Amino acid sequence: MKKKLERYTWLCILLISIGVNAQETKPLIQSKLEGIVIDAVTKEPVIGASINIKGTTHGVQTDFDGKFYFQTGQKFPYTLLVSFLGYKKAEVVVDKNAVVIELTEEKNQLSEVVVTALGISKEKKSLGYTTQALKNKDLAETKETNFLNSLSGKLAGVRITNSQGDMGSSRIIIRGETSIAGNNQPLFVVDGVPVDNSQLGSVGGATRDFKNAIADLNPNDIETLTVLKGPNAAALYGSRAAHGVVLITTKSGKSQKGLGITLNSGITISQVATLPSFQNSYGQGSNGRFSFVDGKGGGINDGVDESWGPRMDGRLIPQFFSNGEAVPFVAHPNNVKDFFNAGVTYDNSISVARSDEKSDFRLGVNNQKQLGTVPNSEVNKTNFTINTNYQISKNIKVGVTGNYITTNAPALPGGPSGNRAAGVMLQFLWFGRQVDINQLQSNRDVNWNNSYYSNPYWNAYYNTTSQQRNRIIGDVHLDAKLAEGLNFRFRTGVDYYNDRRKYTIKYGTNGTPFGSYAEDAYTVNEQNTEGIFTYTKKLTDDFSLDALAGFNIRNHSDANNYQKAPRLAVPDLYTLTNSRDPLTSSNTLSRLRVYSAYASAQLGYKNYAYLNLTARNDWSSTLPSSNRSYFYPSVNGSLILSEALNLKSNTLDFLKIRGGWSEVGNDADPYQLSTIYNFQTAFDGNPIQTSSQKKLNENLKPETTRSTEVGLEATFWKNRLHFDVAYYNTNSFDQILEIKTTASSGYNSQLINAGKINNNGIEIQLDGSPIQTENFKWNIGANYSRNRSKVEILDYAKQIQNYTIGSSGGVDVLASVGQAYGALYGTAYLRDASGNIVVGANGLPKADPTKRVLGHYTPDYLAGVTNTLTYKNLELSFLVDASVGGEIFSGTNRTGTYTGVLANTLPGRGAENGGLNYYLNGTTKTLVNGTAPAGATVYDDGMIFNGVYENGSPNTTVLSAQEYYKASYNISEAYIYSSTFVKMREIKLSYNFTKTFARKLGLEGASITAVGRNLFFIYKDAPNIDPETAFNTGNAQGLESLALPTTRNFSLNVNLKF
Amino acid sequence: MLKKLSYIILFGLTLTSCSDTLDDINKNPNATETPLAPYLLTGTLKQGADLYWGSENNFNSSLLFVQHWAKIQYTEPDRYDVSNTSFTSLWNTGYATLITDLNTIINFPDAQANSNYKGIALTLRSWTFLLLTDAYGSIPYKEAGLKVTPAYNTQKEVYTGLLEDLAKAQSLLASTNGTVTGDLVYKGDVAKWKKLVNSLRLRIALRISDKEPALAKQAAIDATSDAGGLLSSNADTFKFTYISSPQQNPASAWFETRDDFRISKTIVDKLTELSDPRLPVYAQLPSDATVGKYVGGGNGLSNSDANSQGFAKTSKPGTYFLTSTSPAVIYSYSEVLFNLAEAAARGFISGDAETLYKNAITASFNQFGITDATAISNYLNQAGVKYDASNYAKSIGTQKWIAFYGQGLDAFTEWRRLDYPVLTAGPATVLDGKIPSRFFYPGTEQSLNGVSYQAAIAAQGKDLLTTKLWFDAK
Repeated sequence: MKKKLERYTWLCILLISIGVNAQETKPLIQSKLEGIVIDAVTKEPVIGASINIKGTTHGVQTDFDGKFYFQTGQKFPYTLLVSFLGYKKAEVVVDKNAVVIELTEEKNQLSEVVVTALGISKEKKSLGYTTQALKNKDLAETKETNFLNSLSGKLAGVRITNSQGDMGSSRIIIRGETSIAGNNQPLFVVDGVPVDNSQLGSVGGATRDFKNAIADLNPNDIETLTVLKGPNAAALYGSRAAHGVVLITTKSGKSQKGLGITLNSGITISQVATLPSFQNSYGQGSNGRFSFVDGKGGGINDGVDESWGPRMDGRLIPQFFSNGEAVPFVAHPNNVKDFFNAGVTYDNSISVARSDEKSDFRLGVNNQKQLGTVPNSEVNKTNFTINTNYQISKNIKVGVTGNYITTNAPALPGGPSGNRAAGVMLQFLWFGRQVDINQLQSNRDVNWNNSYYSNPYWNAYYNTTSQQRNRIIGDVHLDAKLAEGLNFRFRTGVDYYNDRRKYTIKYGTNGTPFGSYAEDAYTVNEQNTEGIFTYTKKLTDDFSLDALAGFNIRNHSDANNYQKAPRLAVPDLYTLTNSRDPLTSSNTLSRLRVYSAYASAQLGYKNYAYLNLTARNDWSSTLPSSNRSYFYPSVNGSLILSEALNLKSNTLDFLKIRGGWSEVGNDADPYQLSTIYNFQTAFDGNPIQTSSQKKLNENLKPETTRSTEVGLEATFWKNRLHFDVAYYNTNSFDQILEIKTTASSGYNSQLINAGKINNNGIEIQLDGSPIQTENFKWNIGANYSRNRSKVEILDYAKQIQNYTIGSSGGVDVLASVGQAYGALYGTAYLRDASGNIVVGANGLPKADPTKRVLGHYTPDYLAGVTNTLTYKNLELSFLVDASVGGEIFSGTNRTGTYTGVLANTLPGRGAENGGLNYYLNGTTKTLVNGTAPAGATVYDDGMIFNGVYENGSPNTTVLSAQEYYKASYNISEAYIYSSTFVKMREIKLSYNFTKTFARKLGLEGASITAVGRNLFFIYKDAPNIDPETAFNTGNAQGLESLALPTTRNFSLNVNLKF
Repeated sequence: MLKKLSYIILFGLTLTSCSDTLDDINKNPNATETPLAPYLLTGTLKQGADLYWGSENNFNSSLLFVQHWAKIQYTEPDRYDVSNTSFTSLWNTGYATLITDLNTIINFPDAQANSNYKGIALTLRSWTFLLLTDAYGSIPYKEAGLKVTPAYNTQKEVYTGLLEDLAKAQSLLASTNGTVTGDLVYKGDVAKWKKLVNSLRLRIALRISDKEPALAKQAAIDATSDAGGLLSSNADTFKFTYISSPQQNPASAWFETRDDFRISKTIVDKLTELSDPRLPVYAQLPSDATVGKYVGGGNGLSNSDANSQGFAKTSKPGTYFLTSTSPAVIYSYSEVLFNLAEAAARGFISGDAETLYKNAITASFNQFGITDATAISNYLNQAGVKYDASNYAKSIGTQKWIAFYGQGLDAFTEWRRLDYPVLTAGPATVLDGKIPSRFFYPGTEQSLNGVSYQAAIAAQGKDLLTTKLWFDAK
């Protein structure tokens, strides 16, 4: 019955689409008029402009060529009222049967047009929520290889977290995390086609951070990027709108009269930006002793991968490259820095565009070759794009967009996951400071330590992760004018890609003596088919109606196939059959389908009051049939007070208040309804079945997010100052949570519908032009946003207080009841009542047996300021952005302090660094002035941990510096830092050649741009790391674990138009 | 035109909507929702052996505590410098994999599992609970698997409950109750399972002997008088035998890629002192041939001191334990004999403790392939080995400790209970000279089952490594 009903619903929608037919009555003809409406400046046709005859209800709209035609009972002359979004209204008197009407663009808040949900253009003033857009130059000129990074600091309420190193992912969060456990990344829609932004198979920590899928897009192809912040703006997108939507419109040929060719060529140089600050006084070893024999304990401390060895004062010690000969033991201060290369990215593109009366097209090819900062790392990407439209009849237009993206990365930095020997920064933080990196570079077969690692160049060149991805994003679409004011749009789009990774570990790698080889292949397919009717009608002189109804069918599937040869049979042959053992393998397939129907209506009154309503119903395959269908509405409105109350003055240009309420639902992941048993590799012919340890839930309900938003927008002094403030309050509840449970409940986790999380915040945008003369202009754009989150409930029985989002180095990231999202939970020092750290009899600090919340990763507020100075054709802009508040747990500091490689382990190491003198009295370290009794050795690296004994008396137990700096390794509190930073994000200088000059060179236009990105920190708290570092795009943030250093980029870009 | 348009749309829709219903689409193609008893049994045996013999509970913790093995690299666990994230797999795998899968078998309708499957499942579940309580102390037992936040039971409640569970298991097992497949250990031989049940009852009887002597005595009598009997030869030993990679012995897999363990100096010195013929089985000669003798690694050393002993100058554990097919011994015949000796010495049952003690050592020799009668009798007759009736705990404790080599968890429990041999914490250990007396509860218990956890430690004592458990009277 259910199935029949589903089909019936769809049949109905079909019938509606077939049944619609326009009714037209023939008037008495007194005059005929043919006209065209064009832009006064560009002379381009204005499509869809309304033309009404003053004093009548008779009106038409311009077609795709800007043309219109009247047959009317009116006699010449009569007056036409011509209007179109974004243009000043015109009144034109016509007295003959042909007319050209020029419309002048209106540049103010009253006429600004923005792209809204489903790609529908609307007047910004009519909206009850904020949207913000970036133009091509904001994205393309930055030359970021993951274009999301170029959004940093430019949009209020949008938080971008940079990737590890220079080839990783980028995380985008709009208005805070609204889902406790699920994906919090926004939906990406490219030219109406929802596209995938997964980060497949990514593993956190010091290993590989694969690029998220949206990074495939070429920013040169993007015309505008519009951010719909949260459910209020995005309600029509339904399920996937809870975290906002990023709408991307790619360039088309529409605005290109005749043939136009654009060449763009850029080069970017990258260098590692934030390396830890290392000490250069003490080298490898332990307790001041070191001598190399075999690098695994055969000599003196030569298996130790720490720098607690002898002073690097040139004393003679056998080292790894000296074949037993004692050679000077000296510092190599740049041994880590010198490992990294200067990265180079070449980016070249060409595009051809053209349009005429019936058609337009744009073809583009872009090639990007990136040589990374880690030796041997390389990514090559080529994008082919086509965007074309053709008018097949007076009322019907069809078009195709296509992107083919092929990425080939022979080696990504960081090596295969889970391989300790191959971690790049891991080896440099467990390191001997005396190591001469050039010796390692010249002979990859030797290493400074053979207990744990292989030579870092061996790892970089032989233990590789490669990735090959082929992707097609495209659609076919059709626009039809069914009747006056009634249009229909149909689109079917696809995003399909294959992503193959190969992991090789060479024979003879430390810890993997036989090497290994694995192949990991993903196939992702996302299809959407939608049909939308739009209807626009001026109901009376005062009231207008703008309505929409549509449907969408979404199919998504992803598949994974993984196979590994755990031990190779012979070296250097990387095939799955070259294996000593049976292959380990796994494969999964996941599918889902969602049917949706939706509608919206906008009612306008006198161009200053607007009411918007939306409604959507989804039917999702991932929910049980009884809860499968879910409905959610939204309402918002705006009132332009400056018009309604006639407040316009010389000071105030525009004043608008707005507000809205919305609800969106969200479905589950596939296959979450019934508990499963997994098969494991059979044992000697006996199949093995075992519980998945996860209790699923046959009664899942959809998640719900409700959001309220109010705002105010104003402009002053003839648009010299623009101000926009928004407040929002979002509650997400009935969240689908995989709650970790104690294993003694029978499962390590259970899936429940529970949880409530609140987010509220303020966003402020300011744009001002303090100086504006004919030749010189100074523009300031500033944004500020703060988001406050609070986890209110996890389970309705209130038994569960914490949900673990992720863990690293002993610190858990929690959603903890009563706390902000993303609490960092770990071990703290044991303290007495007055807050002193308690030490044991051995003088070492004690850990509090009860774990505590040590911070939160979510910042208090974000801000960005862009100053743009324009003098004639020269433009200089600089962007400073800040993230204030929030904490990060730093694995780099934790490890580097333990191993003594960091500069902050110098205090107390030796008399010159303030170390105390002591001698060994048995095993007790006893302070001494001058010489020790019985000629015992006097050491000068004594330190006393600042704390008290359990009886409250001050600690007097002397530790060696090595003991001192190792003491807090398992106390997470010691390595929690504020993640506040202020960054000089971007400085950009560009010159646009004048048209006259360009023409002399035979060009239509030319520009040259120089950009510096991630230049330096103006302020930061966390030492030795970039606090902006992310693990991956998941929710377990605030953890840094020996991450690859972020990069500073300098690029030069030339753009030529023919 | 509109008509054409409609056709186009219709065509577009047929492209996307195939005949699958939404329910069909959400049918999981990757796993089954239907478990089968023999497959679950195979899985439990394999995973139970991995848990008991693998790194986290055995050679990277308990085997270090009892100084069978020592670390020569990454010495933190050997210095007891560990946190409450260190002992999570016994808990998590024990409960969420073993006990859950065994409960699935126990709760099957009779058509899906005959009563022999259920009896075996109940036996293995009892063994799992026993490991858990021996290591942690109070644990969720009665409410385990039944509530999201189950309450903890005291050790006394757990041990008592397990004796009842094992009595029930015994009644479920009978050769006439149907065949069992998927049994990798006893190949479906129900008689051997009945012996294991009684042997486990005997083991538990001794666990509680210092605290509940009357109950212990009754349990010992029940165990020894049951018609099923006890494990009665090395052929009856309950052990899981591994095969080749990737299903090789976990210690063997570890040594293939890592080199951070050595046999402990403590046990090497003891075996050397007693001229114990098991030494060449328990240890390898150092790879540096110039050393020429067995050298153990010190326990509880700093990383650098451990390292300085030299990888090539110290002895790895014997190849008997490190080949891919090395067995995971879980309940040996020699342990049965040691347990009988102690039960006799305590007067729980009749029998000659000394004879049983000698038989136990002999069984251990046989287990490790030493069958030379002269060598055995020479060994048994030395002063350092001879049974000391005035201090049975010392004789039995020391020899049981040697015989348990490799069985970290049980060696650790019996060492705590019998207090012999006397072990000394290594120089760089962090527990003020003490050796751990238990495992930490997983740190996640504080956040996931906080109320039950707090109640448990309020009764048992702080959640520290040094807190003594109920059974550990001294």
